[in-house]
Parts: sequence; structure tokens; C-alpha cells
Amino acid sequence: MEKFTKAFPSKPLKARTAKPWALAGVVGSGNLEVLLERAGASGTMECHVETSIPGYKSSWLAALADFATHYPAGGTKVTIHDQGAPPVLVNLRLRQAYDHLTGGDK
Amino acid sequence: MTRGPLFHEQTARQRIAALVDPGSFDELLPPPERITSPYLAQLGIPVSFDDGVVIGHAKIGGRKVYLAAQVGQFVGGAVGEIHGAKLTGLFKAAARDRTPCIVIVESGGVRLHEGSAGEIAIAETMRAIFECRAKKVPTIAVICSDIGAYGGMGILSTCCDFRVMTEHGRLGISGPIVIEKWMGKKAYDSSNRALVWKTSGGKTKYLLGDADSLVLDDAGAIREAISKLLGKSSAVSLKAVKARQAELAKRLKRFGQTEDADAVWKGMGVRDIEAASLASGPEFAAMAKREK
Repeated sequence: MEKFTKAFPSKPLKARTAKPWALAGVVGSGNLEVLLERAGASGTMECHVETSIPGYKSSWLAALADFATHYPAGGTKVTIHDQGAPPVLVNLRLRQAYDHLTGGDK
Repeated sequence: MTRGPLFHEQTARQRIAALVDPGSFDELLPPPERITSPYLAQLGIPVSFDDGVVIGHAKIGGRKVYLAAQVGQFVGGAVGEIHGAKLTGLFKAAARDRTPCIVIVESGGVRLHEGSAGEIAIAETMRAIFECRAKKVPTIAVICSDIGAYGGMGILSTCCDFRVMTEHGRLGISGPIVIEKWMGKKAYDSSNRALVWKTSGGKTKYLLGDADSLVLDDAGAIREAISKLLGKSSAVSLKAVKARQAELAKRLKRFGQTEDADAVWKGMGVRDIEAASLASGPEFAAMAKREK
């Protein structure tokens, strides 16, 4: 198990979202769950990662930094429980959670 | 015919949303509260925000109900201490408020990582279910998923007043692989899907009276079945338990030695096995009623 926390600069999230929090994915083999909440300073995306596969911190930070650059996610807190998801799935779940937070559950 | 997504393919939260009046669901202990398993964390296994079960209250046809939906993809929907405590609390609240309680089951039973805590939680939930039944508060188990209801969750489901199943759902105590490991592949081949479903699937359970309705794999159909059962509940009486015991003894005497699953279907009045196998859940139920 490896745990780490890091905040990334990101453009502020829009003032109104459909929900105060959104969840995407599930803790299963090769999968992860992402909880996205409105919280913290408006210019940062605060990330907390817990993963069962240690040793991939640099890949995680790259995937999260990429998301923070491409989406206005300032003022959010991202909490991740991971069970070995590949980076592409991490990106997909982040986008799903973001979509649900801003647009409501589909 | 246009239909919504298949119920068994939906997530726990989607299942609840599809069953209840739009926007009426209020989740209790939602993910941001982070009530997670202390045992899994100690073992270095990732935890889940809801510990694999979504609970809350909502309305079905304007009537308040308590609801739980298990997340089968998280450790097989298995019941740990937190997961079980959420179920116990929900049924206790249902008894207190005299409000029907529905549990959408998708679980292999107790979570082995926290065995004793899970077993106790299942026992406490059963006690809460019987509290509901003593007050004639309807309790319904919905068993419509790939994983089905096994182990402690199989027992818990049969403690409820009613079980709504689809052809897809399975109900039992020991799962197919467990039986195979104990009895050998010759006695029970868990890779034989036809055998597995003919012994623990929705159709067989409906024939034997363990399932009260057999419906299509669709939220609308399941909602309709639930609505019909919501008004009814029966207290557990000594007379009813004795009658059920006698019925089970009769069943054991009749089918206990058979090695052919079809013989059970035939014995329960199904004449055309092939047609019955191909029939949808509701068609099968109509056939079974006609041929009884």
C-alpha cells in the first residue's frame, strides 16, 4: 500500500456545480474509485491517493498534473482508492467524476 | 420493444435511482463521510468510501421506503463490519419508523478478511429483519445480479418477507465453487452454467417457492413487482415456521437423492423442459402457474 498527497495548480472550477460531490468507478481489480468534492483553495486541485500497487508515484503525479492542466478543477479535492488501474483508466474516472460533479449523474 | 439498461449491468447507485421516484433518494453515510473498513486498511487492501453498500431512503410511488444496494464489484459485495452495520441500522430504522425496507443483494456473503465481525453483523441484521416482521413492516430482497445472494446474504435474503428475482439472479448458501471443492467436480461441476442456474437460479427458486416473483431484468419490472409486495407483510409465527419445515422435509425426501436438475423441474410440474429453459422470467412464471 502506498499513500501520498499533492496539490496541483488548476484554473478555478465554475461557481455552480450540479452536486457538491461525485463518485466514479469502484475498488476492484484493475480499477479505482475517485471521489471529487468541492473543497479547498480555488486555484488548486488537492489530491489524496491510496494505491495497492507501490512504486508508481511518478506516473500518478503525471496523470493528475495532466488532468489539472486540461480541466478547470481548482477548488476541488480528489480522493482516490486504487487497486491497480492503468493510467488511461485513472484519466477516464477523473473525467467521469468531473462530468457528474458539474453536470449531474447520468 | 424499447427498454432501459439491463438492471444487472447497472451500478448500485444507478439501480436505486432507476427503482425509486426521480430525485427522491437521500443517501445515508454517503462517500464524503468516509466510513471505511478499519480491517482492510490494516491488511493493506484498498478500502471503499461506502464499504460496498449504498443505503438511504426514497419514495416508490409516493410511499417512503428504506433501501440498500450492495456493490458486487468491491470484494464481491462481501459483508464486513461497516457494511453489515449499515444494513443493521437500516433495518432497525425501518422497524422504528414502520417503513418498508428493500435490499438489492449482490454478495457472496461474509467478507473473509473480517470474518467474525462480518458474521456478527449478518446475525444482527437478521435480528433487525425479524424486528420488522414482528411489526408487520414489509422487507424485500431483490436478487437480480451476476453474483447473486450466497452465504450469509443468502440466509439474510430468505429472512425477508419476499424475494424478487430475475432468471439471472442466484440464491443459495454455499456457492458453486465451494460445493465443487468440497464434493468434487463429479458431484457438482461449477463450470456447468446450466447446472448452476438449474440448481440456484431464479427459475428454480421460483418453482420451489423461494422466490415470490420472477421478473424481467429491467428496473421498471422490478419496481412493479416491489410495488405489489409493499403492502404485505407477515409476522413469523410458530405455526408458519412448522409448516415451512414440513414442506422442506417433503422436498428433501422427494429430491434429496436426485442427481438430475431437470428431475426437480419435472417434479415441480414443468412438462416441457426445453421451452421452459428458453422462456423469459415472466413467461416461465406463467407456465409454472398454468401447469401446477
